[in-house]
This record gives sequence, C-alpha cells and structure tokens, in this order.
Amino acid sequence: MIAQMRAELLKIRSTRTAIGMALGMIALILLFSLLSGLLTEPSSLTSTEDQRGLLGVGSIAGVFSALAGIMLVTSEYRFGTIRPTFLCTPRRSRVVGAKLAAGLLAGLLFGIVGEGLGFAIGYACLAGRGLSYALNGGQTALLLLGTVAVVALWGALGVGIGMVVRNQVVAIIGLLAWAFVAENLLFAFVPSVGRFAPAHASDALMGFTTSHFLPAAAAGATLVAWTIAFAFAAIGLVANRDVN
Amino acid sequence: MVSERTASAPPAASGAAVAADGLTKRFGSVLAVDALSFELAPGTITGFLGPNGAGKTTTLRMLLGLAAPSSGNASVFGRPYAELAQPALRIGAVLEATDFHPGRSGRDHLRTLSRSASLPDARVDEVLRLVELEGAAGRRVKGYSLGMRQRLGLAAALLGDPELLILDEPANGLDPEGVRWLRDFLHAFATDGRTVLVSSHVLAEVAQTVDQVLIINRGKLVIESSLEQLTARVGGSVRVRTPERAKLQQALERSHIETTILDEQGLLVHGVNSDKIGDLAFAAGVPIHELVAEGSSLEDVFLELTAEPRS
Repeated sequence: MIAQMRAELLKIRSTRTAIGMALGMIALILLFSLLSGLLTEPSSLTSTEDQRGLLGVGSIAGVFSALAGIMLVTSEYRFGTIRPTFLCTPRRSRVVGAKLAAGLLAGLLFGIVGEGLGFAIGYACLAGRGLSYALNGGQTALLLLGTVAVVALWGALGVGIGMVVRNQVVAIIGLLAWAFVAENLLFAFVPSVGRFAPAHASDALMGFTTSHFLPAAAAGATLVAWTIAFAFAAIGLVANRDVN
Repeated sequence: MVSERTASAPPAASGAAVAADGLTKRFGSVLAVDALSFELAPGTITGFLGPNGAGKTTTLRMLLGLAAPSSGNASVFGRPYAELAQPALRIGAVLEATDFHPGRSGRDHLRTLSRSASLPDARVDEVLRLVELEGAAGRRVKGYSLGMRQRLGLAAALLGDPELLILDEPANGLDPEGVRWLRDFLHAFATDGRTVLVSSHVLAEVAQTVDQVLIINRGKLVIESSLEQLTARVGGSVRVRTPERAKLQQALERSHIETTILDEQGLLVHGVNSDKIGDLAFAAGVPIHELVAEGSSLEDVFLELTAEPRS
C-alpha cells in the first residue's frame, strides 16, 4: 500500500498537469484576494462573516485539488495506463486506497499553499487599509484548519468521483456543474437537504454561519462521510468492472 | 495436448505456466471466447494466433486478471493472476503499445511501476538499457515513435525480471528492423528457459520465433500444435486460379486430391505438385490462369484453419 502510494504520488508529480493546476490555483487566489481585499468597500469588510469570506478565498484550492484527484484516476483510463497499473497491482482496492491517500496528500498541500496565500494576502489588505481584524483566535483556527481540511478532502473526493465516473470530461463537467449549480439550487430550494451537500458542508466546516448551515463539526463529519461513501463506491465498482 | 478436465480440478496440479480451462467470455449475445482450454509448459515460446476479432486479446485480458471470465478458469503458475502477491516479479505483460501518459517521460513511466512493485530505481535503468532506450528515457513519451513505445512497454514488462512474458500483437506497427529486433530479443529471453506467449494475427510475424502455436477462431481453439507438426500438416500446396473452379475441384477430388477454396476462382491444392494439377486440368478441359507452388505454406494453413466456413 505504501509502495503503491509512492507510485501514485510520482504519477502526480511526473506530468505537468499538477504543476499547471497549482499555478492556476495560485494565480486565481492572488487575483481574487487582491481584488476583494483592495476593492471591497470598507463597510463590507467589517463583520466576521465578511472577513471570513475574504480570508477564506484559499478554499478555491478545493476545486483544483478535486480536479487533481479526478485527473489522477481518469487520465489512467484515458491513456490506458490503468492496464499496467492493475497488472502491477492486481488487488484493485489497494490501487484505489493508494490513490485516495495520494489525493488527500496532494489536497493537503494545495490547501496549505492556497489558504496560506489567501489568508496572508487578505490579512495584509485588512491591515494595510487600517481595518481591524474581526475574528477571534478560535474562529481564525477554524478558518485555517477547516479550509485546509476541506481542500484536502476534496482531493480524495476527486479520486472517488474519478473512479466512479472514469471518463475525464464527464467527471470534470459533472463536478463543476454539481458544485456550482446543482448544489446551489438544492440549497436554495431545500436547505434542510442542501446543507448536507459537499460544497455547502465545506463552507460550514470553514466556519461560515449562513442560516441552515450545519455546525462546523457536523459539517466536517458530513464531508468525511461523502469521501468515505465515494471511496467505497469506487472500490466496489473498480473491483468488479472489466478493464478494456 | 488440449486438456479435458473437470471444472473442479485444480489447475495447479499440472505445473503449467499458463492454463485456460473452459475459459469463456460473453459480451451480451456475443461469445467472444468459447470454452477455451489449453496449457503452456514452462520454457516454451507460444504463438497465439487468430484473425482480428478471434478473441485473442479478450483471452489475454482474462489470463491477466483485467477481465473476469463468464465461466471457466484462467491461471498463471497455477493461480488466478489477481491472487499472485507480486505478479510483476513473475509475469511481464504488454497489452497495448500505447499505454502511456504522453506528458510523462519514459523513465518516469517505468518508475511509477517500479515503485508499486517495490523495485529499486536502478532496475529502471537496467531495463532501459535492455530495450536500448536509455538515450530517450528523459524525454516525454509524446515524442516517441511507435517502435520506441513498443520497446518502452516491453521495458515495463521486464521490470520484475519475469519468468513469463505475455505480449499482445507486439509487432504491430513495427518496421522490419523492429520486428527483427523483437524476434532476437524474444529468442534471447526464452533461451534462459523462460516462457513467452505472444499473440499475432499474422503467422509469418511469429513463425521464426515460436516453437508452438495456439490458433483460435471465433473464440474457439482451432489447433494447438508444435510449429513442425503444423508445417508437416500441410506439406506443399499449390494455388490455382481458374474460371472453372468447381469443375477442377471435382476433377481433383476424383483423384482423391484435397483442396481448399480460396475465393471465386482460387483453389488451394494440397499434396501434389503443379505438373500433376496441370495434367489433370488439361484432361478435364479446365483452363488454368495461374498455377503457383506456395513456398511459405504455413500462411496457407493458418488461413485455411481460420477461414470462414464455405459451402
């Protein structure tokens, strides 16, 4: 399992996909935190919830870690490397487990870099504009740790989604359509259900307190449950499906 | 050699390197592999032959644990592939020449596999030397020729220094030099008493390499024999082209000469020389447009064995 995980981490490192994704993530976080940190009216940057929005911009990294997780699986099916992978490690649950762990680790790195960057820029903007920092120690810790956890979990979730869907384009479009459209509609119309959906649970885990949101601990448990559910679905499906 | 065993008999008892027992794969209503049974002894080079779509790749996928049989068993070294703890150390396989991420270097491709098999990175450089790719190893696979990709695939299969090599159509797309390189390589590999199973839809590609053949057609085993037996089976044959094929065929059959229909005007005549056929045709009043003694008769056997049934 450790050996397979080292192989999976090398797969991530040895193409330009992950580097490109990391650079894209950094560029987007720079852009968003500078724009909202410098251009937002001071009156819209005073409440804890407003500042959480600014300082938690790094959660965008979750989209990139999910994409990296999806790519780690779907590019194997797309380019056929899944065959040598399974020939080397015919216990497919071991491959799934190693990929989940690698996705989680890559996501952790994305989360630390992304949220570290987003928080630093946001904090600097607040300080530079003479706005007082509104979050207390616990809220700050929850924001930082929660965001990193969210981004890491989305890395593993991406692996699970990729294993279940297998087709790269369908998986990526499906993820974006779900996270940015379907889930918002679900939460808008049926918040009692929508708050359990992964992207909304993610926001709650970062400490956002929008009405109907789950408490942070429950949100974290929900996100972990989603990841585990996808992991088991992936293992079940991958174990029984023929590889062409 | 085709074994008739009950499904419950453990395939391990035979000591075969590769064994299929009633192996069957059904895709919907299509029977891709139909109750295939065979055993390959260690130390043999076997050509796995059949026309495209005969079920070769599907059989190999079942042997390698990538696809589950609908019924029957496939085993390597007495066990299903998926139950081997470290298969890369005993079996090397290449199914597709294109199974690479185009953006990854050849060396990194091999390293991902050596890591999952817990092999040292030094082994990667060894196999790169073995397939003569060390110069290109740092380049991304995107820029490799088909021949280089074939060799990189082979390098991956050789990482664990396996006793058994399973290759699906390894000569596809190779230039004559590449085919020759592959042949020399497989000979060298097998001289150490190791086992090779190599599939092809062209008998000529493997005729100089293999010592026995398994020929399948429409998912069924047509013949399992040594190359000598296969050659002896046909002897010489003569290809005849005539507008009156049926008439000639009758004339030949009256003289107890065996024939195979090739096409509308073509007939393959077995066991007699051109003179005899010419004389018989003249006597029967059949015009002959072409009369060719077939030098390489192996290909004809292959075509004959895998031909569509005709009336």
